[in-house]
Amino acid sequence: MVVFAQDKPAYEVFELLTASSPNDSRSKEWKPGDGLALEVSGMEWIGPDRLAVSVRKGEVWFIDGALSKNREEIKYQLFASGLHEPLGLLRDGDDLLVAQRSEVTRLQDADKDGVADAYLTEADGWAVTGNYHAYTYGPKRDGKGNLWVTLNLGMGDLTDNSAGWHGWGGIIASDGKFSPQSLGMRSPSGLGANREGDMFFTDQQGTWVPATPVYHLRPGVFYGNQESLGSLKNPAAPFQLTSVPQANLPYPEALTTSPEFVPPAVWLPYNKMGRSGTDIQVIDQDGKFGPFDGQLLVGEFTNSAVNRVFLEKVEGEYQGACFPFLEKFPAAVVRLAFAPDGSLFVGMTNRGWSSLGNRSYGLSRVNFSGAAPFAIQEMRAKPDGFELLFTEAVDKDSLAKAFAMSSYTYEYSSAYGGDEIDTKTLEITKVLPSEDGLTVRLVVAGLRPGYVHELRTSGLKSDSGRALDFPNAYYTLNRLPK
Amino acid sequence: MKGDRFNSVWSRIQPCLVLVSGCLALSGTVAAGPHVAGYERFHADALTVEGGAVLFSELGCASCHGGSAVVVPRQGPHLVDLASRVDREWVREFLKDPETGREGSTMPQMVHGLAAEEVDAVVTFLGSLGKGIKYRPERHANAERGSALYHEKGCIACHAPTPDFHPPHGDGKVVASPLAIPHPDLKKKTSLEALTLFLAAPSAYRPDGRMPHFPLDNQEALDIASHLMDFQASDPREAATVKQWPTGDPEKIAIGKEIVSRLNCASCHTIPGMKAAELVALSGDAATAMSHCLSEAPVAGLPHYRLDEGQRASLAVFLKGERPVADKDGKLTLAAMNCYACHDRDGIGGPTVETNPYFIGDEGIGDSGRLAPPLTGIGHKLRRDWMEDVFAGAEGSRVRPYVKTQMPVYPAHAAVLTEWLDRIDAKPDAIPLTERKEDLEAGRKLLGIHGGVNCITCHNWGEKKSLGIAALDMSSLDERLRPEWFRSYLINPAEYRAGTLMPPLWPGGQSMVPDVLGGDTDRQIAAIWSFIREGEGLPEGFPDRSSGIYELVPADRAVIQRTFLEGVGTKAILVGFPGGISLAYDGDKARPALIWRGGFFDAYQTWYSRHAPFEKPLSEEVYGFPESAAAGAFRGYRVDEAGNPTFLLRDGKRDLSESFSVADGRLIRVVRWTEGEAPAIVHPAGVAVEATAGEGILTSIYTWK
Repeated sequence: MVVFAQDKPAYEVFELLTASSPNDSRSKEWKPGDGLALEVSGMEWIGPDRLAVSVRKGEVWFIDGALSKNREEIKYQLFASGLHEPLGLLRDGDDLLVAQRSEVTRLQDADKDGVADAYLTEADGWAVTGNYHAYTYGPKRDGKGNLWVTLNLGMGDLTDNSAGWHGWGGIIASDGKFSPQSLGMRSPSGLGANREGDMFFTDQQGTWVPATPVYHLRPGVFYGNQESLGSLKNPAAPFQLTSVPQANLPYPEALTTSPEFVPPAVWLPYNKMGRSGTDIQVIDQDGKFGPFDGQLLVGEFTNSAVNRVFLEKVEGEYQGACFPFLEKFPAAVVRLAFAPDGSLFVGMTNRGWSSLGNRSYGLSRVNFSGAAPFAIQEMRAKPDGFELLFTEAVDKDSLAKAFAMSSYTYEYSSAYGGDEIDTKTLEITKVLPSEDGLTVRLVVAGLRPGYVHELRTSGLKSDSGRALDFPNAYYTLNRLPK
Repeated sequence: MKGDRFNSVWSRIQPCLVLVSGCLALSGTVAAGPHVAGYERFHADALTVEGGAVLFSELGCASCHGGSAVVVPRQGPHLVDLASRVDREWVREFLKDPETGREGSTMPQMVHGLAAEEVDAVVTFLGSLGKGIKYRPERHANAERGSALYHEKGCIACHAPTPDFHPPHGDGKVVASPLAIPHPDLKKKTSLEALTLFLAAPSAYRPDGRMPHFPLDNQEALDIASHLMDFQASDPREAATVKQWPTGDPEKIAIGKEIVSRLNCASCHTIPGMKAAELVALSGDAATAMSHCLSEAPVAGLPHYRLDEGQRASLAVFLKGERPVADKDGKLTLAAMNCYACHDRDGIGGPTVETNPYFIGDEGIGDSGRLAPPLTGIGHKLRRDWMEDVFAGAEGSRVRPYVKTQMPVYPAHAAVLTEWLDRIDAKPDAIPLTERKEDLEAGRKLLGIHGGVNCITCHNWGEKKSLGIAALDMSSLDERLRPEWFRSYLINPAEYRAGTLMPPLWPGGQSMVPDVLGGDTDRQIAAIWSFIREGEGLPEGFPDRSSGIYELVPADRAVIQRTFLEGVGTKAILVGFPGGISLAYDGDKARPALIWRGGFFDAYQTWYSRHAPFEKPLSEEVYGFPESAAAGAFRGYRVDEAGNPTFLLRDGKRDLSESFSVADGRLIRVVRWTEGEAPAIVHPAGVAVEATAGEGILTSIYTWK
């Protein structure tokens, strides 16, 4: 039973380590050895109280006492160094796997002295041209045990992207080679599996990407960024596109021009939900992190925030809704990881870009207070509208004019980012609360498959008189359930 | 209607691409009729007054009738020195049918109804104008360089690319734009020297800026001319000159002059000693026009245009409709002068799908690094004096050295264009910046990276390179921009430049640095502006590289760092040993690649730059290992107590390893293998090698000479 308390915040944030100035690591006075510039790029729990963190300058640190609220008790120990811009960390038995620019590396500590003594090549096989924007992310493990890696597109000299597997995602094959699986990614900086073991990734607004999408990662599909097409000429390409999708069409229409071209499970509309999605972390904490188990958390760079994504399957494909969730972190949120006690660790770095949180890096811990926020817990599509599940019963008197809805899509285009297009206001013809007040059915006229359906609330209250934590939600209605 | 025409044009271009290898430049529009790119692109699909207005200007109608809203009037080329620049027979054919002289020419046919000897008299008169050019190119011609210039400088914004020059962007396919303005048969029309002279100063012959003036030096002009004329030799004196025109009989010249005067050629062309006739008022009656200049069949004494149906209908709409008297938003002038070929304004124009892949520059800045800036609100963005400098091509007025496409200059029209843009883009209600003297230092902080908004992470500052990508120099923005524009741009850059990499640093007007000037957005932006205007020194945070604070100094154990390294590659593993000996191992080719003595490595860029470049060792004394076949695939490395690495290799059948350490100023390399023959190993230059072999082990000691 979830407890409600008006005066208690649902989530409490504790900052373990935050840059003391917006550019701590780059200050004139800072020099190697002067404390730890914790520009978090990967996180993994490797013991009940030990967190491994990779940082962008090329190190892996162990943080002991990470669950303590006394900063004096938190100890930092250098485990590995000299890596080339590591952007992901994963435990594998007693070892750690880390994605560097040119390979996935297995870090071993054979003599158990707490310092890595072997840096073994676990996987390679993609071209590294030296393009600064050609990052390597991962690895992350799916439900079948596959290790997934995603490869960023280069910026600037786009001919670099014709070299092996830029803009592709793949798994590590048994021979230690990158085995390409799907293409069309731009900056797939976050990977994560859901409870069912299906893998997802985020992309970031930019060329061919109008807003942050969350995609279901799987073999044989195209995610839209045509700068990745060059590698199809590689004899090792696992498949070919039946046709290259036609650009400069509204997204739903463009999707019909190529059978391999798939839409995101969820769009996170630009500005409304943030600007640059990062990590994906499933909530699977038996209620220890609130009533959202099974949902995905998505890191948000520019807005220094964490968003929440609810997914359902319609006709066998994932789709769903996104909601703002946690905000006002001190730096750009890049990595998310749950501690053994069910608290969420949020790893941050601003490097190279800016964020609303203006510190250059940080590591924070988020604890659920036990008092759930008044929130739209789930938003499901119905043949004639949507069904909302709330974390607390709604005040039925506040429902009358509480909801408004519009729908829109994006243009499928090579442009850098893109506006919402073809926006229409939809009429909500019926608002039907359940008897217990926990669910509300919205009957909506003119639903448009393929469009983002934006739900705006105002004046909605819970039975105990609370306002919603965030008033709006965005459902990507790829398919209309029958 | 026009769409169909383009399709048919397209189907006719394809064979040209494939079959006619000697076809130098792709001919864009091959359909008959005058070609006005700004009309074809924006107005051919719908009949509008604007489309008619563009044609009315660009076909020269306004030269006789007045009443064009286009800011820079259309003129014909100057006819001076024709005899030494243009082939006599070409002139004659061109007069008889401009279309055969140059596809898509906007020159109307004028000589219909004249007898052959009368046309001959006109040609003879034209040949008598001017004394002839005296230019002999003395440099060596380089057609290949000319081709590169032609495709990089921006010529292809208006003209077709050459089939064998593949665009650096996109899929590399050469696709002709139906909008491309065709070249005449240049070998037939002119000579290498005359074309060179023309390209070096088009405005001397074409005063209306439709073929704009590019600031080319004589060598560049010669090279581009060599490319266009397909002149493959080196010595330009070997090129054919224009065939000498016969000296004209004075009587014939007089007859020709009388005809030229009667036909009112001087209304469009500057002809020495001849004045344009009085303007002929438009009847305002489209039907009349249709039976006169716009008629399908030539009418003696009137210009005859080979208009297609759509063009004729557009002009009819223009004549019947409410004709614009001024170009209030720029759409007419930008279409007429084809500024839209490069620039977007208010969402209209910019490179087309076909031309876009040819625009190149510093791609680290994204499309802003290679495409011309948008002209939306340009008269509000730029200071008047700066705008006039840009149009006039004043020294120092090019601020985007990384954009390879060059802005042409319009010296004769700089003042009128500036005045006009300043007027139509004026925003009297723009929010001004209120500067405060005491905020100057806050400006230094805000520009910098110690608690600022990190401008110098991307932007250069005068001579000082940014910490990352080399975006536009900010130190002299005040000479170019208006402060009120600067304010609104910073709050929402994407509104002014779609697709810019410039992030909103005050998203929604909210400051990201609340601890500077109380987080007051206006005050912060004003402080930045103040520092740009009168701040001394640099924004905060340019690293003092000379202090060596990011230098890795191996003290008591070896230091390993991976990076991109020049001469090695993207999987370079650098090892610095105590005592000043260093090694770079190439993880791609599984071999030692470089050794050096002296400093080890400055890790600043590798650790802290977003735009990580290929690095160099901190030494001048670097020796390379000769290239050799790898003894196996790289499998990583182990590190011993002293930090020394053992690199691991596998060649399928067996494992190999290579350990490196130092002792007494010498580098010790130990190669081990599990079975089989000893692997072939190579040694670097610059050192003496002392090798000892054992069972499955080979030790090499390198001593510096």
